[in-house]
Amino acid sequence: MNKNKIIAILSLFAFIELAMLLPTNTTPFKVNYPNYFPSPNYDFDKNPLTQEGIDLGRKLFYDPILSKDSSISCSNCHLSYTAFTHVDHKLSHGINDSIGNRNSPSLMNLAWHNSFMWDGAVNHLDVQALAPISHPAEMDEDLNNVIKKLELSTYPNLFYKAFGNSKITGENLLKAISQFELTLISCNSKYDSVINKTATFSLQEENGYKLYKDKCSSCHTEPLFTNNQFENNGLAIDSILKDLGRYGITKNPTDSLKFKVPTLRNIEFSFPYMHDGRYNSISDVLNHYTNNIIKTKTLSQHLSEPIKLTSNEKVDLTAFLLTLTDKNFLFNKEYDFPNHLFFPKTKDN
Amino acid sequence: MKPFKLLIISVLYCNILASQNINDLTITIQPLLNSQNLILEKENTESTIINKFKFYLTNFSFTKNDELIWKEKDSYHLIDVSNPSTLNLKFEMPPDIEFDQIHFSLGTDSLINISGVMGGDLDPTKGMYWAWNSGYINFKLEGKSKNIPFEFHLGGYSPSTVQQVKLKIDKQKNTIIYFDIANFLNQIDLEKEHKLMSPGKEAQRLSKIAGSLFYLNE
Repeated sequence: MNKNKIIAILSLFAFIELAMLLPTNTTPFKVNYPNYFPSPNYDFDKNPLTQEGIDLGRKLFYDPILSKDSSISCSNCHLSYTAFTHVDHKLSHGINDSIGNRNSPSLMNLAWHNSFMWDGAVNHLDVQALAPISHPAEMDEDLNNVIKKLELSTYPNLFYKAFGNSKITGENLLKAISQFELTLISCNSKYDSVINKTATFSLQEENGYKLYKDKCSSCHTEPLFTNNQFENNGLAIDSILKDLGRYGITKNPTDSLKFKVPTLRNIEFSFPYMHDGRYNSISDVLNHYTNNIIKTKTLSQHLSEPIKLTSNEKVDLTAFLLTLTDKNFLFNKEYDFPNHLFFPKTKDN
Repeated sequence: MKPFKLLIISVLYCNILASQNINDLTITIQPLLNSQNLILEKENTESTIINKFKFYLTNFSFTKNDELIWKEKDSYHLIDVSNPSTLNLKFEMPPDIEFDQIHFSLGTDSLINISGVMGGDLDPTKGMYWAWNSGYINFKLEGKSKNIPFEFHLGGYSPSTVQQVKLKIDKQKNTIIYFDIANFLNQIDLEKEHKLMSPGKEAQRLSKIAGSLFYLNE
C-alpha cells in the first residue's frame, strides 16, 4: 500500500469520527413566559428543548404504545381541553378499567414545580412519567418493554432527529416527554392581561381578587397560584381510600393528610376538584372551606381560623377564579392530538 | 495548509495521544457466597440461592497518605452479577502515580437522586430506579435461604443510604475486591426480615451492613 492510500484511509476515518461528533440539525425552542413569573425550577441546560424533541415527546404523550396492551396513553388521563386532567372522573382509571386512588392532576407550568404527584412522590419532571408507565392500575408496563416496542416502529428515526442517536434509551425517552410537557405554559388568562395592563377586572372580579388575596393566596400564591407546598386542607378522610397523602412517602406523622397544593389556573375546566375528585363544582369547594373543615393535628395553619365568606362574596370570588381560564392554553393546537405526527401522509396534513 | 487538512491531522494526533500515556488499572469486583465465587441460580451447601445481585459503586478516588491522587470523572458503575463484564472496572489514569488507598461509595449520592433522568449505568431501564418514590435502588439482592425467599432493595437518598468504603490497596496493581453475601445474610434474621423495598431507617441500617463488607485479599 502506498503512502497516499494510507493517508486517504486515515483521513476517511478522521472524517467519520468528526461527523459523529457534530450535532445533528435540531431547531432550538425557547419557552416564553411572562416577566412576572419567577425563574423556572427546571434546568433547561440539562435538557435543551428542540422542536424535534418536543414533537417526539408530544407523539409519545399521545401514543398508547406506552401501556402494556397499547390501550392507554398519557392523554387518557390528561386531556388538553381540560387543562390536562381527567375530567368527569373522580378517580382516574387506567388499563383494563382499573381505578386509581386519585384524580389525575392538571398539567401546566411544570417547569416551576419542584415535586410531582399529589403526594410529591416524584422529585423531578424527567422521572415523573416512569410512575404512570409502571403503575399496575395505570399503564402497567415496563420501561424496557416500551423501548422494545418503540424500536420496532418508526420511533428510532424520531429519536435520531431529536437526539442525534436512533438508539432509544430510557433517558432520551423521558427527556422527550419532559420537553413536550415543558411547553404547556398557561399565562394568557384574563388575570394575566390585567397584570399586563391590557385588560381590567370588572367590579365583581376586582372584589373577588381582593377576597382571593385575603383568603386563598397564602397557599394558592400568585402568579402560579400554588405555593408548591403540601397542606392538609381539612378534608374528611375517605373511609375506603384511607389516603394519608404525603405521609405515604415520608412516613413522617407531621405529613399525614397533606397533599400538594394544586394551581387555581384554569380551575373552570379542571374539575372534579381535590386529590380524590370529591367535589364537582367551585361552589362545593368554597363551601368546604367555609363550612366543612375537619380539624386534625396536621391541619394547615392557614386554615386554623375559619374562612368566612357571604354568599355574595362567594359569587365574586368565583368571578375572579374564572378570570384564570386561559383559552389560548386550553385550545392550543400545539398541545392537542398531533395528527401530522401519527399520520404524516394523510391529505389533511 | 488548508484548515480541513489541519483539522484531520489534529484529530489523528489526538487519537494517537489518547492511545498513549494512559495506565489502565483494572479492579475486579468478585461477589462471593460463603467464600465461593457467587454463581446465580445455583444452590450452595447451606441451601442458599441467589437469583439477582446488582449494586452501584460510585465516586472512585485514590489517595496516598490521605492526599487525593486521582479521581474518576462521572464515576458511576452498576455491578450486575448476571452480566460478568460489569464486574471488571477499568480506570484510565495517568502513568506513574502512586496510591495506597482506594475510596468509593456503595450507592448513589443525593445529588444524583434529585437531578432527574440520567443515562448510561444510571438509565432507569437498568431496573434500579424506583418509579413510585423517586430515587435509586443502590443495592438489590434477591434469592432464597433455607426456604425463606428474600428481596432486599436498599436505596433512597433521604435519609441517605449511600455508604463510603475505604480500602488499603497496593500501588498500581490490578486487584480484586471481594464481597461475601453470606456475611450480609448472616447479620439478618431472615425469619423476621426478608423483604425490604422502600427507603427509610431500615434501608439505612441494612445499607450500613452491606457497606462494611468489601475487602481486598492481601
